[in-house]
Amino acid sequence: MTTLSLKKITSAWIITILALFVLAIAFGITMRFNQGANINLDPAKFYSLLTTHGVTMIGIWAVAGMVAVNYLLARYVPVSTSLNVFAFILTVVGVVMLWVTTFIGHFHAAWTFLYPLPFYVAWEKWATPVFLLGLGVLGIGWFVWAVGMMLQILKKYSLRHTFAWQHLTTKHDVAVETPPFILITTVSLIGIIVCLLAAVVLLVLFFAEYFSSGSFVNDPLLMKNLTYFFGHTLANESLYLGLATLYELMPEVSGRPKFKTTWYVALGWNCTMVFVLTAFFHHLYMDFVQPVGFQMIGQLASYFASLPAAAVTAFSVMVLVFKNPIKWSLTNILFFLGVVGWLIGGVGALIDSTVSNNIFLHNTLWVPAHFHTYNAMGNVLFSLAFFNWAANEFVGNQNETKSYSLKIVLLLIGGFGFVLMFYFAGAYSVPRRYSVYPQEFTSAALLASAGAWFACIYLVVILWMFFDIVKKCFKVFSPSY
Amino acid sequence: MKAHEFVLALFLVSAIAIAGLFYYFFLSSRQAADGGGVSNPTKKRFFFFTALAVVMIILLLVTIPKSPYFLFTGENPSKVVYVAAKQYSFTLSSSAIDPQNPVSTEAIELPAGQPVEFRVTSLDVNHGFGIYNERAELVTQTQAMPGYVNRLRWEFTEPGTYNILCLEFCGAAHSFMRTTFTVK
Repeated sequence: MTTLSLKKITSAWIITILALFVLAIAFGITMRFNQGANINLDPAKFYSLLTTHGVTMIGIWAVAGMVAVNYLLARYVPVSTSLNVFAFILTVVGVVMLWVTTFIGHFHAAWTFLYPLPFYVAWEKWATPVFLLGLGVLGIGWFVWAVGMMLQILKKYSLRHTFAWQHLTTKHDVAVETPPFILITTVSLIGIIVCLLAAVVLLVLFFAEYFSSGSFVNDPLLMKNLTYFFGHTLANESLYLGLATLYELMPEVSGRPKFKTTWYVALGWNCTMVFVLTAFFHHLYMDFVQPVGFQMIGQLASYFASLPAAAVTAFSVMVLVFKNPIKWSLTNILFFLGVVGWLIGGVGALIDSTVSNNIFLHNTLWVPAHFHTYNAMGNVLFSLAFFNWAANEFVGNQNETKSYSLKIVLLLIGGFGFVLMFYFAGAYSVPRRYSVYPQEFTSAALLASAGAWFACIYLVVILWMFFDIVKKCFKVFSPSY
Repeated sequence: MKAHEFVLALFLVSAIAIAGLFYYFFLSSRQAADGGGVSNPTKKRFFFFTALAVVMIILLLVTIPKSPYFLFTGENPSKVVYVAAKQYSFTLSSSAIDPQNPVSTEAIELPAGQPVEFRVTSLDVNHGFGIYNERAELVTQTQAMPGYVNRLRWEFTEPGTYNILCLEFCGAAHSFMRTTFTVK
């Protein structure tokens, strides 16, 4: 059941996430203008911005998915407001700690903080432990919240029903239907819980070395595996939480019957749950000391983690929309475009996850190209769709009369224009994470400038939506509400 | 068509096809009446999933044998180059490098048309070892990781001066970490 306290805390999350998103986009645009030689930042400042941008974006869109599924989960099982508030407080504290380390402490080891770079201190000494602690604070908040949600689901659904295994057998147990929302939320929360546990191990190992005064030294290959297991899995599960929201809301706002869990939906998501946990190996393709078996698993898992979820979702959305009268609104158009952005980004990811391509694409701008596509034009749109729907829900009006065409046109031009500049530069071997480009990359600066201008258009639309959504969210705090 | 151009073309064609298809779905919904929808979805679903699975399997079978781990494995490299990366420079040498005193002893020249091997490590943080040709195209790469030696085998087909750029973020001067070698 949706209570007023749930509406209030969800509003607080939406306002905070969107405010951080606007700032993080501005940091990104600043970096692209610097790469375009339109401005001239000190390299350390550039990389502090890069670190802030990366860690903020990964964090807010992971937690945005949790906010959305927590709100919608209340339709099926009781949800804990206390855990929600606990996660919110720890998220705010964690973000403040991280931003203090980057802006005051000048920490700039990137969001990947790849071991042992954080120990090669080129910033304030205190910034390294505070950065790692900040990540720990975020992780604790989300871990406890995710476990709380999972336990609530398991109170109502047995383990078998949670994973929709009854839909896989010929003896279909019609007495219990697992809604797709419950299945996808479960799959995603399990992934989040597992990757946060990996993050705990990673942080413990960092601190063990930090406090050992040189008597304990970590293994760089193990630390790299742990870093990408945590980072890659978190980014993917965030996207799947967005899809859980889509499965729950898109048919509803479109005036169509709800999606049902069929055998192929159940099979697809169960496969995704397994494959996604080993896809991270593709981040280590260029580490030839990694066992070749892991590299092969990396490519297989990258192909087969994306295939079931993408194919099942694309087909389901096609069946929903094709030749059916749809009540289009900003909410479902954002879901619909999010699927398009996710699939297009997925093609870029699939190309990069092929080892024989990775050798000339790894750590070029092709990498930010594909992940910005499925985030900025995929996952972000899923969350914005939820935010828009929730804000309308808060004011009791889902029948928006305002035209959204201009917003959508600008969003498409800004978003796809921005990522296209990355793809062109990546295909032509321009390295990622360069504060300035060497002169042999003749078109890199021009593409960076163009990308920054396209991102400005994207930012305008986000600001526009921000004001529309936040205005409605603030109403739940009014005494007369 | 070069590999770089091929992947870009493949991506653009796929992206346009996806966008076009979904635009078509969108348009179909605007003129639709109740009782429409996809005819015979079960059959279409079976065809769609099977086609995707077949494409994926073909791609795996074609691309995996081209992975760098399997290149030139049965051949003896005509020359071995030892590489030590350290913030913010590369040391290249024809003989093993002393980690306490990493110095490049001579300019590196490699033969064209013969497999060579780079033994790459790092003396501090993670670095990348990206080899670029004179057209600024990334030819091949590996990572430079402390405590490990990555062996990269390659056969250069074109003579010329090659640039090595760091491709793993390693600190504030990452974009300036580079060196060169020659292929004759």
